[in-house]
Amino acid sequence: MPALSNMRVSFRLLFVSCVMLFAPLPLAAQGVAQEHAKEQVQRQQTQPLNNAPVWRDVRGGQHPYQTSQVRGIETTVLVQSEGEIWRQIRNGPITIYGGWLLVLVVAALGIFYGWRGKIMLGHPRSGRLIERFGPWDRIVHWSTAISFVILAVTGLTTLFGKYVLLPMFGYTLFSWMATLSKTLHNFVGPLFALCTVVMFFTFVKDNIWQRGDWQWLTKFGGLFTGKHVPSWRFNIAEKSWFWFGVTFLGIIVSVTGFVLDFPNFAQGRETMQMANVIHAISAVLFIAAALGHIYLGTIGMEDAYESMRNGVVDETWAKEHHEYWYNEVKGQGKAAGGAAAPAHASAMKEGWKL
Amino acid sequence: MNRMLILATVAALAWTVAGCGEKPSVTVYKQGQYQGKPDKQPWDNDQFKGDKTAWEKSVKARNLGQNEYVRISGG
Amino acid sequence: MARMKFLCDAERCIECNGCVTACKQEHEIPWGVNRRRVVTLNDGVPGEKSISVACMHCSDAPCMAVCPVDCFYKTSEGVVLHDKDLCIGCGYCFYACPFGAPQFPQDGAFGLRGKMDKCTFCAGGPEPDFSAAEFKKYGRNRLAEGKLPACAEMCATKALLGGDSDVIADIYRNRVLKRGKGSEVWGWGTAYGKPEKQPAAQPGAKS
Repeated sequence: MPALSNMRVSFRLLFVSCVMLFAPLPLAAQGVAQEHAKEQVQRQQTQPLNNAPVWRDVRGGQHPYQTSQVRGIETTVLVQSEGEIWRQIRNGPITIYGGWLLVLVVAALGIFYGWRGKIMLGHPRSGRLIERFGPWDRIVHWSTAISFVILAVTGLTTLFGKYVLLPMFGYTLFSWMATLSKTLHNFVGPLFALCTVVMFFTFVKDNIWQRGDWQWLTKFGGLFTGKHVPSWRFNIAEKSWFWFGVTFLGIIVSVTGFVLDFPNFAQGRETMQMANVIHAISAVLFIAAALGHIYLGTIGMEDAYESMRNGVVDETWAKEHHEYWYNEVKGQGKAAGGAAAPAHASAMKEGWKL
Repeated sequence: MNRMLILATVAALAWTVAGCGEKPSVTVYKQGQYQGKPDKQPWDNDQFKGDKTAWEKSVKARNLGQNEYVRISGG
Repeated sequence: MARMKFLCDAERCIECNGCVTACKQEHEIPWGVNRRRVVTLNDGVPGEKSISVACMHCSDAPCMAVCPVDCFYKTSEGVVLHDKDLCIGCGYCFYACPFGAPQFPQDGAFGLRGKMDKCTFCAGGPEPDFSAAEFKKYGRNRLAEGKLPACAEMCATKALLGGDSDVIADIYRNRVLKRGKGSEVWGWGTAYGKPEKQPAAQPGAKS
């Protein structure tokens, strides 16, 4: 029968093309699928009414024998159990412990401020200024800082807004806030990732381990005693913030953020759930650490904010907080940022105002 | 100035703590209990004019209509 | 009071995708959004099974729990609905849902997914019943017309049952008794909790 053999040929062609279509699929999945299929065939013969092998596939099923007319990512998966795990982690530990961690950090900083107050200069100002952060340093810092604050506020709105802001503002207004938060978060995120990379290369050379760092660390920088410990341009606390905060957490939130921000690359739900969990945990830690950094950079220490705002510090400040760096700058006769040493204080101060 | 800052911190703390009160994110559904946002019941419209019994009768008929054994053999 | 549920009989589903088509046409759903889909297990292998799946209107709905703006609500019939005016399109409901029910009209670079769309059990949304706004956002409100979901009502083999859980479970149990096989009530354990929580008669819950 020529017609039949023709049909057979076309079926064979169809089969081959199907095989070729599925060839890129992971071999392991295919192996499992064939096993399941075999098991199902056997089960149909031994126990015709027992469909256990079929039902086992309900929760998995990313294999070529599980199909759907609806094309899309994971449309052949009937039940994904990971969603419930993700929900338990996100609505449980991350929300509760994360929230409490941030509250405790703010409380600790408040108590510290009440006890220690603003850390003032111990000696009168010399009136001579040293350049601490050049224009590039400051542009990089503030780009990162502003994008970080936007991301922190919008991210916290997404995680905690339902419990904190929603009861205050009501559904409609909070929905607008959340829409704004989500959009800002998604568009500022990639900018922050870029800033993080630039930040790393801008500040890495002064953040490597230097002699004297250990001493600073053992005395905790005199944060509690009030006695200054000499340090280089950045003390070990600042270096830790650089390595653990900016670099480590920065990269983690950036990478996981990209996974979540661009769901159009066909990544599955499980990938995004894991990315979300890692993103949320590291973001909460990042915000907690940043609160400490912001505290010391603003109300916690005299002239700390001004050093990043104007780029220059008084010699007294430099000597008290970063004595090795001060000596280095003085010895070289030029500022750390690479620019020429400031000649006249008042002129410099005006000149460096952004 | 200092007092103001402490006050502000305490206020911020109290405000944040209030948000940390653990409450269930979703209440488990109880049979026949409406939970959530204002929405009309399906019988509160021009067609049923709030007649819940008529609506239930209509839905029940459609429910039973899905039993084709009844439809084929008439019982 | 009726508790609305879906029940798909895998012994009867013939993968005709009629429910999918009915849903699309009833609600005039945009291209790319699929409130309902049919999945075939062990396609081409003896004993293959097909199951039609959409939002199951879970008792303890994960989507409701994770929504950052709390846009979901449950009607007194146990139907899970959402308010598209509040939805921010974050996709969290999609991560959490066991059944892959939440759909988004856009592909989502920079997380721009558009407002979430899902099966409403043909019960519309918060807008006034039969209004143009309700139809545009959520599709037809058949429940308010005293009807049941279009997919279940038009199912040719009556594989897909939708409606009062007591009634459809009765129909199903009767059917299982007559044919003497295929007692697996797919998805009920995941959607409606363990059988002892639901006193409604169940021939046996699977996954």
